[in-house]
Amino acid sequence: MSVPALLDDTVAWGFRRGDEAAVRTVYQQYVGLVSTVAHRVLHDRGLAEEATQQTFLQAWRSSSTFEGCDFAPWLATIARRVAIDIQRREARRATTALDAADPGDAALITLPPSEEQAWEAGQVRMAIDALAPDEREIVRLQHTQGYTHQQIADSLGIALGTVKSRSFRAHKALAARLAHLREVAP
Amino acid sequence: MASDELTPDDTALLDEYAALLADPTMWAVPAPELEDRVVEAIIAEAAGSSTNTYYVYRQPSRARRWATLAGAALVGAAAAAVVTVAITRDSSTPADSTVAMAGTELAPGITGTARLTAVSSGVRIDLSLPGLPRRDGGEFYQVWLKNCDGSQLVPAGSFHELDEAVAWAGVSTDDFPLVTVTKEAVAPPKDSAQGTSGEVVATGTVGQCPG
Repeated sequence: MSVPALLDDTVAWGFRRGDEAAVRTVYQQYVGLVSTVAHRVLHDRGLAEEATQQTFLQAWRSSSTFEGCDFAPWLATIARRVAIDIQRREARRATTALDAADPGDAALITLPPSEEQAWEAGQVRMAIDALAPDEREIVRLQHTQGYTHQQIADSLGIALGTVKSRSFRAHKALAARLAHLREVAP
Repeated sequence: MASDELTPDDTALLDEYAALLADPTMWAVPAPELEDRVVEAIIAEAAGSSTNTYYVYRQPSRARRWATLAGAALVGAAAAAVVTVAITRDSSTPADSTVAMAGTELAPGITGTARLTAVSSGVRIDLSLPGLPRRDGGEFYQVWLKNCDGSQLVPAGSFHELDEAVAWAGVSTDDFPLVTVTKEAVAPPKDSAQGTSGEVVATGTVGQCPG
């Protein structure tokens, strides 16, 4: 099962024309993918947002040469390239002594993720974004905070059984949306 | 860390991506204003793309300008008058500043503002010039950035009206510190004067221009 990333033809053509509604639809559908790919390269929220903006603008500028309705691989490629350009720019600006630099400084990151790694991160992000909000919050607490089902129930003020059922549905949905990554693996 | 109720394949798959799922940045919500920034940038470029490419326009020579004007007169083209708007800075920072704008003798009494903001894609110019009559039917207003000696113009967008408009240019206001607005008309096909009306009134006063 693949991620349903295809856009309606009308939206795709509207984006190419610069129609506001279509541009917003494309942004809303892919901003998670684009910002995630950018952040995997830059490790900085502000720079990642700059890269995100540039990515959509560059995508629009070159959209007349792009055919099809699956924007995800195309946008991920642009986002990675834009982010690497920004990373190089920041590296040139860096004047901080190496020992004093923040380990997360974009200037110190010399090896960006491979295209495959960036693509996988983007796909995971799109799978997360596709979850229902109440399910997404449960999965987020479970994975980023290490909360147990009981802790999540206490934190959100909902029944333990509700947490378990939503967690199951969410993980099932995540697995289904990421299955295509396993299918293409060597 | 998938539920025990998941299939072994699903569990293995999610375990493969456990590190990504545990990364808080994977769950981060982009800044709400980012959507508007992206949309405005694309729409502004889309709106200007038919009459505006971000090239640096060089003024034609005097002889060529006269020839162009004569030709335009023969075909009855509307050689548009130019409204040049002088700008006066109220900030010492050229990239992010709000400047006062005033009409010339061709638009007496017109006043407004232009807020210049440097962004990664260029310069955003938020114009507010109420009072100028709407132009339609092949006539429009053109916003430019201009260098100090007036030898170079950069188009920043064409508009029906300028009560509230957003223009964009892909140059630095350090090099092109003057904002001008001209009245233009669509030129006949292949008319080399399409880039400007040809009649230049350079009366802008800008603090950072020499002399």
